[in-house]
Amino acid sequence: MNTVMNEHLGKNLHYVAHKRRVREDKRFVTGKGKYVQDVNLPFTKHAAVLPSPYPRARILSIDTAAAEALDGVQMVLTGEQMAVDCNPIRLGLKLPEINWYPLAVGMTCYVGEWVAIVVADDAYIAEDALDLIEVEYEPLAAIVDPERAFEDKDLLVHPGHGSNVLYHGNFLWGAVDEDFAAADDSLTFRARWGRSSTVPIETFGALASWDEGTEILDIWASIQMPNFVELMATTLGYPLNSIRLHQDVDVGGSYGVKRGIKQSVLVAYLSRKLHLPVRFIEDRLANMAGSDAHGPDRIFDTDVAFNNDGVIRSLKIRALDDAGAYPGRAPFQLAKPISAIVGPYKINSVKYEAISVCTNKSGQVPVRGFGQAPTNYMIEAAVDHVARHLGLDRLEVRRRNLIQADEFPYQIPPGSKYDSGDYQTVLQKALDLAGYDDLLARRDQARAEGRLAGIGIATVLEPGGGNNIFEYLMDPTAEITTFMEGCEVRVDAQGKITGIMGTTTSGQGHETMMATILGEELQFDPDDIRIVHADSLNALPTRSPIASRMAIMLGSAAAGAAGKIKDRAMAIAAHNLDRPIEDLEYAGGTISDRNDPSHKLTWAEICFIAYRAYHKLPDGMEPGFQAQYIFQVPGGGQLPDENNRVQVYPCYSFQAHIPYVEIDPGTGRVTVVDYAIAHDCGTVINPDIVRGMVIGGLAHGIGAALYEKFSYDDEGQFLTATFADYLMPSVHEIPDVKDVEHCTPSPLTSHGQKGSGEGGYLGAPAAIASAVNDALAPLGQQINELPMRMHKIEALINAKNSTMEKPR
Amino acid sequence: MVRTDGSMKAAKFDYIQAATVDEVVDALAKGDGEAIVIAGGQTLMPMLSMRLARPETVIDINRIAELSGIEVASAANGDEVVIKACTRQAAALASDIIQTQLPLLAKAIAYVGHQQTRNRGTVGGSLSHADPASEIPLTALTMDAYVRLRSVAGTRDVAMVDYFLGPMMTARADNEILLSVHFPTAQTGVRTGTAFHEVSELRGDFAVVAAAAVIELDGAGTSTKVALGIGGADGVPKRITELEEKLRGGRIDPGGIHAALGEIADALSPGGDQHAGAAYRRRVAAVLGERALLEALAEAERA
Repeated sequence: MNTVMNEHLGKNLHYVAHKRRVREDKRFVTGKGKYVQDVNLPFTKHAAVLPSPYPRARILSIDTAAAEALDGVQMVLTGEQMAVDCNPIRLGLKLPEINWYPLAVGMTCYVGEWVAIVVADDAYIAEDALDLIEVEYEPLAAIVDPERAFEDKDLLVHPGHGSNVLYHGNFLWGAVDEDFAAADDSLTFRARWGRSSTVPIETFGALASWDEGTEILDIWASIQMPNFVELMATTLGYPLNSIRLHQDVDVGGSYGVKRGIKQSVLVAYLSRKLHLPVRFIEDRLANMAGSDAHGPDRIFDTDVAFNNDGVIRSLKIRALDDAGAYPGRAPFQLAKPISAIVGPYKINSVKYEAISVCTNKSGQVPVRGFGQAPTNYMIEAAVDHVARHLGLDRLEVRRRNLIQADEFPYQIPPGSKYDSGDYQTVLQKALDLAGYDDLLARRDQARAEGRLAGIGIATVLEPGGGNNIFEYLMDPTAEITTFMEGCEVRVDAQGKITGIMGTTTSGQGHETMMATILGEELQFDPDDIRIVHADSLNALPTRSPIASRMAIMLGSAAAGAAGKIKDRAMAIAAHNLDRPIEDLEYAGGTISDRNDPSHKLTWAEICFIAYRAYHKLPDGMEPGFQAQYIFQVPGGGQLPDENNRVQVYPCYSFQAHIPYVEIDPGTGRVTVVDYAIAHDCGTVINPDIVRGMVIGGLAHGIGAALYEKFSYDDEGQFLTATFADYLMPSVHEIPDVKDVEHCTPSPLTSHGQKGSGEGGYLGAPAAIASAVNDALAPLGQQINELPMRMHKIEALINAKNSTMEKPR
Repeated sequence: MVRTDGSMKAAKFDYIQAATVDEVVDALAKGDGEAIVIAGGQTLMPMLSMRLARPETVIDINRIAELSGIEVASAANGDEVVIKACTRQAAALASDIIQTQLPLLAKAIAYVGHQQTRNRGTVGGSLSHADPASEIPLTALTMDAYVRLRSVAGTRDVAMVDYFLGPMMTARADNEILLSVHFPTAQTGVRTGTAFHEVSELRGDFAVVAAAAVIELDGAGTSTKVALGIGGADGVPKRITELEEKLRGGRIDPGGIHAALGEIADALSPGGDQHAGAAYRRRVAAVLGERALLEALAEAERA
C-alpha cells in the first residue's frame, strides 16, 4: 500500500494526505445531488413573497382579499398576524427594541423586505396572487450612508432603539500610545470593503411539514448555521424537541450565507396553520434583494506606527460596518477578526474601535471568513502603505515583520496564541513558484512598453476551528465557552463502519474528510466507510460547518470516536484471547498477540461477539459496537481576562499570494494575468478538497476585489438584483493559478490539520489590491476601495493624464 | 416531470408554435400589441420568468425553417449577405460566408455572450431586442445593413440608420416580425479593414462601450469609405458621421485619426449607471474608437 510519511507527525499515513477521489464529486457531476427542491412530499403547497419597493415606508394598509379569493390560493399572511403568533428573531446582540420578524410589521426597512407571503397550489398561482395584494405605503426618507447613520440622531432605522448604532466598542491591547510615541513615524489611511458576498447557485429553500399525529415539525432546509433549530424553536415558541431538521439534503453552496431562519420560520408556521407541507424556494430576485445575501460593508480608518526600517510597532484601527436593516450576526463579524487582528506580523499593541450601524439595506449575513477577509485586506494595505511611505520593498517590509518559525506558539496582543507556522518558508515557496525575479523583469518590461503592470503581495492568516468567545467580548452576558463538534461511529454486525455527522454539508467534502480519518484510524479503506447526516433529533452536538472548522473539529472528533471503537475492540480481544491489552496489536481490525500472531481475533469475530455473544463480552460491557466523541475546541473554555485577552480560534493557516496584473490604461480594465499562491493548512486530509478551497476561494476573492458589490443609490433603491448588475467572475476572469502546499502541522488536532475552507478568499482581495496599486504607482495614484471597478481606475488614470496625451 | 415550484414562473400566456411566417404575422395581428415572438429566448425567457415581460401570447418561431440560414444574394448595389432572423449566433460565427464576406460581424459575434448562449441566441433576436450596448446591432449599423420586416400588411425594408429609436425601441411595429438582416458585401477593387473593440467588466457581458470600424482604401491608398460605430454610449448605437467625413477621401494616418477623435465625444449623449458614468463612456468611446480605426486601417493597408 502507498503510504505518505508525514515527517512532522512521525508516522506513516495510509489515507490522510493521499490524493484520493472526493466521494461527493460523483453525485454532483452526474446530477444525483439531492437538494431541498428534490424532496417531494404529497400535497405540497408553494409559497411566494411580496417585496417592498421602498427602502423605508410606513405600511398604512394591506388588502389581501383579492389574493385570497384567487382560485388555488391557500393562505395569505402578513407581518401583523405573524407578530401576534411568533416571537421576533433574536439572533446575536441583545437589542430589545429592534424587533425582526420574517415579514415587515408596520414599516418596511429596505427594498426587497418581505411584506406578505402567499401559499398556493403551485408557484404560478402564488405569483399571480402577489399581484392582487394591495399595499398602501407612506414612503419615508431612507438612511443609506453608514457614516451618516452613525452620526444621525434623528433619522433612525429603528426609532425605538434610539440610534442607528448596533454596537460600538473600544478595545486596547498593549501600550498603544507609548508605542506610537516611541515609533519613528506613523501614517493614516482609509480602506473600504464593498458590500460583496458569496452568491451560491442554489438560492435558499425550505420545505416544512407539520405532523399532527406526532406533533413534530419536519423541515428540509438548505442551511449552514449553528443554533438554527434552537432559533426556530424560540421564534415559533415550540419546544426544541418538536422540530426535526433533516440534514441529509445537499446544500448548493453557502460559505456562510445559508441562514434561512426567517424563510424556515415562515414555512413552518404556514405548514402548521394549513396542515399541509409548504415549500418556499427563493427566486434570484427575492434572494439578492431580501434574503440572506449581503456580506460585510466596511470602512477602516487605520493609523500605523512604524520604525524607519519598516518594523511596524502598533495599530489603531477603527472599523465602521454597515449591517443593513437588521443586525443578525453582522456585528460579530467585527469581533471574530480579533482572533488575528495583527495578521501574521509581530505587532506589539493594538487599539480597535468596532462600530456596527444599521441602514435601510438588506441585512448582512456571515460570509466566508466572518469578517477576516476585509480585515486582512486592511492589514495588508497597512503594510503596503508603510513600504510605499518609506520607499522600501513591500516584500522586505513583510519579511521584517513576519513572525519567525521558532517563535510559535506566538501570542498576539489580544490573547490568541497562533498554534504553529513557518511564514518565511511559505512566502519563499510562493516567490519561487511565481518566479519572482522574472516576474519583476516582466512587469518592468511591460511598463517600459507603456503598459500599466503590477505585482501583488499578500501574506495572510486563516483562523480556523471556530469559538464563540468573541461574542462575549461584545456582550458579556454571552458566557459561551464551548464550540464543540460530535461524531458517532457505528460498526454493524457485518463489521461495516458508518460514521455519523450531525450537520448539513454545503460542498466542502465532509464525507470524504470524515471517511478518510476513520479509515486512517481504523485501518479500513475509506471507500468502504459509510458517512451519513443525522437529523437534528438524532444528532450529537454540533456547531455546524462554519469557521473553517470541520477538518479541525469533526476530523478530530472522528479520530476520537475511532479511538474509542479501537479501545472497545481491544477490550473484547483481551478478554477473549486472555492476554493483557499491552500484548495485543491492532492491524486492519484484526487483533493479535504480539508474541504469537496466530493467537488472534478477527474483525468479524469481534463484531459477532459485540452483537451476538454477550457471554463473551468483558464483564459490565454493554452489547453493540458504537462510540461517540465530542471534541471541544482546543484552547477554548476560558472567559477573557480583565484586559479582554482570550484565545479566540485555535488554528492558524497561512497563505502567501503573488498575482500579476495588467491594466488597460484606456479603459481601466484589470486583467489578472498570473497568480501564484503558497498555502499551509497543516496536514492536508484530502489534497483535491484543499486545492479546490484554495483556488475557488481565490476566484471568490478576485470577485470581491474587482467586481462584486450589492449597490444602492443615494435614496436607498437597490441596483443589483440580477447577475447583469451584481458582477461575478467566470472562468474567463480567473487565470491559471499556480499553487503549492506547505505543511506545518497544528499541535492541537488529531492529524495536524488546520482549516482551509475560507482558502484563497482570505488573501486574494488584499493581493489584487496590492497588484493594482503597484500598477498605478508609476502614475502616483492608488485606490483604497473594493471592488476596484474599471471606471474608478480609469478615472484615476485619466486624472493623471488629463494634462498629458490620452494613452492609447 | 413538470416542475411546479421552480424559479420559472412566468405569468400566464398563450403559446403558439408557428410553422410558417404567415402564422406568425397572423398571430401578431391578432395579438394587438400583446403578442411577442420568441426565438432563442436568451433575453425573453428570464424576463418572462421574472415577470418583467407579461405578454398575452408568445409566438415560437424556432421551428420555421424559412427563418433560418445564411446566403449570398444579388441586390441593386451588388451582392449582399442575408442572415435570416432565427439563425443562431453560433451558426453565424461558424459560417464561412460570414467569416469571409463579413469579417466585422464575425469579430463582433465573438463578443456576444458565451458559447452556451450563442448556441440558442439568434441574430434576429439581438436586432429585435436592440440593447444599445449589444454587438450585432452596432455592427449592422456600422456596415449599413438593413432589416426586412413583415406584417399582414406586407413587407418593408428599414435601413439601420432609421431602425434604432431608443433603448430597446426600434422602428419595427408590434405587428411586424423581423425576417432577415441584409449586409452589403465589400466593394471589389478596394482594400478593406475592419475592427471591433469593446470593454465590459466581465467577458461575455453586454459592452459598457463598444466600437466598430470599417475602412476601405483604393489602390492609391485613399480612403473610399470610413465607418465608425459606437455602442453603449448613447440610447442607440451611433455612427460618428462627422469623423467619418473628416477621414474619408484622403490618406488616413494615425495622427489624422487622433486629431478627429473629438468628434466621437461630440456625437454621443451617454447615460450613467453603476457600471460606468457618462464621462467614462465618453472618454472610453474615444479610446476604443481610435483603437478600432487604427486596427482597421492597418488591416486595410495589409490587404
